[in-house]
Amino acid sequence: MIRFEQVSKTYPGGFQALNRVNFHVAAGELAFLTGHSGAGKSTLLRLVALMERPTLGRVLINGHDLNKISRRQVPYLRRDIGMIFQDHRLLMDKTVFDNVALPLYIEGYTQSEARKRVQAALDKVGLGGQERKYPIMLSGGEQQRVGIARAIVNKPPLLLADEPTGNLDPSLSLEIMNLFESFHQVGVSVLIATHDLALVARMRHRNLVLRNGAMIDDGLASGAYEPLDEESF
Amino acid sequence: MGFLMRKAEQRKGAKAVKISPWRRFLMFFVNNFQQALGSLGELSRTPMASLMTIAVLGLSLTLPTTLYVVVKNAQAISAEWDSAAEINVFLRKELSPQEVQTFRERIRLMAEVDRVELIDKEAGLAEFQANSGFGSAIDYLQENPLPDVLIVVPTADFQSVERAQMLLTTLEQEREVTSASLDLKWLERLQALVRVVENSFAALGLLLCTAVVLIVGNTIRLAILNRRDEIMIMKLVGATDAYIQRPFLYTGFWYGVVGGIIAWLATTIIVIWIDASIVQFSSLYESDMSLQGLSLHDMLVVWLVAIGLGLIGSWIAVRRHVSAIEPK
Repeated sequence: MIRFEQVSKTYPGGFQALNRVNFHVAAGELAFLTGHSGAGKSTLLRLVALMERPTLGRVLINGHDLNKISRRQVPYLRRDIGMIFQDHRLLMDKTVFDNVALPLYIEGYTQSEARKRVQAALDKVGLGGQERKYPIMLSGGEQQRVGIARAIVNKPPLLLADEPTGNLDPSLSLEIMNLFESFHQVGVSVLIATHDLALVARMRHRNLVLRNGAMIDDGLASGAYEPLDEESF
Repeated sequence: MGFLMRKAEQRKGAKAVKISPWRRFLMFFVNNFQQALGSLGELSRTPMASLMTIAVLGLSLTLPTTLYVVVKNAQAISAEWDSAAEINVFLRKELSPQEVQTFRERIRLMAEVDRVELIDKEAGLAEFQANSGFGSAIDYLQENPLPDVLIVVPTADFQSVERAQMLLTTLEQEREVTSASLDLKWLERLQALVRVVENSFAALGLLLCTAVVLIVGNTIRLAILNRRDEIMIMKLVGATDAYIQRPFLYTGFWYGVVGGIIAWLATTIIVIWIDASIVQFSSLYESDMSLQGLSLHDMLVVWLVAIGLGLIGSWIAVRRHVSAIEPK
């Protein structure tokens, strides 16, 4: 599903965020992306979502070379990628319903047509019946789940999450991770960037490890189900 | 519509979003309509700020519109004067009264000529004597120095400056004629003056229209920057630039719609105001002039111009700023 070939990213000013990264995440796979702050996790996700372009190398999604995707095509690519952020990026002046329905509106659904899907998405994340509230009336964990509902409402085949549990306490974090697990089980590819190593260890999935922009472990050699310890960073 | 992953999706058996092309086409208009209403709602949520911009647009257009009304009326008046053209034809003095009558008849029958009036030398002298103040001094003259004069009034078709000039040349070439004159100078000067005024008003109007575009553009730019976060989020979930731009373009459109109406009202008020003084002025000259206000056609043009300026202003802002906002 996601393939990186010798990908380097140098920001203007000379900071090298990624250095010759190679990896492949198969369709339907769930993988974690770990590493210290500034190791390049966010940059890697941004390359997948075409919020950045690589300086060198190729990023392929489902066999399509992202270097060949023109600026005009980017929105259509993003409709197939559900993105989840640490700060949820909700529209604070819109109801939960309108927030979750946003991707559907953009695709041309009317409000009544979107209702069923929005309800399904909210039920899935355990927020059924909260449609008419505003994000500000919800707790941090609930806001994060609204963000997840928005990411899955149009059933994208690929989910990207950047520190989705960054602001949450451990039990809420586990709940969120279990949600991702359930998407993975219905065949969605999931890539989660996190620094919550304890949680990663518990989840027993493939772990891609970045250090200073280089991929030092792609979770295959050491065994996908081997919990990683703190020393590997 | 995602185009990258369809195959993967089908393979996994996930339900793809199914929207037929016809549906998509229809929804484009439904969306547009919704966004148009939405941006109208947005305006009503910030009535003061919107009203300020709309008032600037409307009042800026009022000045060129009022000037247009003035020029239109000036043109109507000068057109009336234009049609008062008369040609004075001075005849050779040695012609006998019989020859003068024949010549007069010949001129009268010309297609270009409406009517011909003869002022013979005796009548001319009498009139001169009565009006000039020389009075009895003229009695000392041995012979009448004045020629017979024909006053030729061209038909309506030949009353324009160029046509009357042509007729004048024809008449001058007649054997019986010493000279002919058409007092065109003042008419030409008036027309030139009207043109100068027209052109300077047009330049002023153009300047104001440019200012309107910039003001609308700036207002829309601020609106875009205000909603920067929202635009970023919309881009993240796959909104195209066109989708994001539309509400802002509609905002410009509504500015134009309301601004145009303000321009009508303000122009009408000003015209009524000026008209009152013009009626008073013309009554002193025992004439009943009054200003022609905006016709229905003029109003439509003003409205379209206002809407056009609103759209251009917002389009410029949107072109520059929506694409510049990229999700971080």
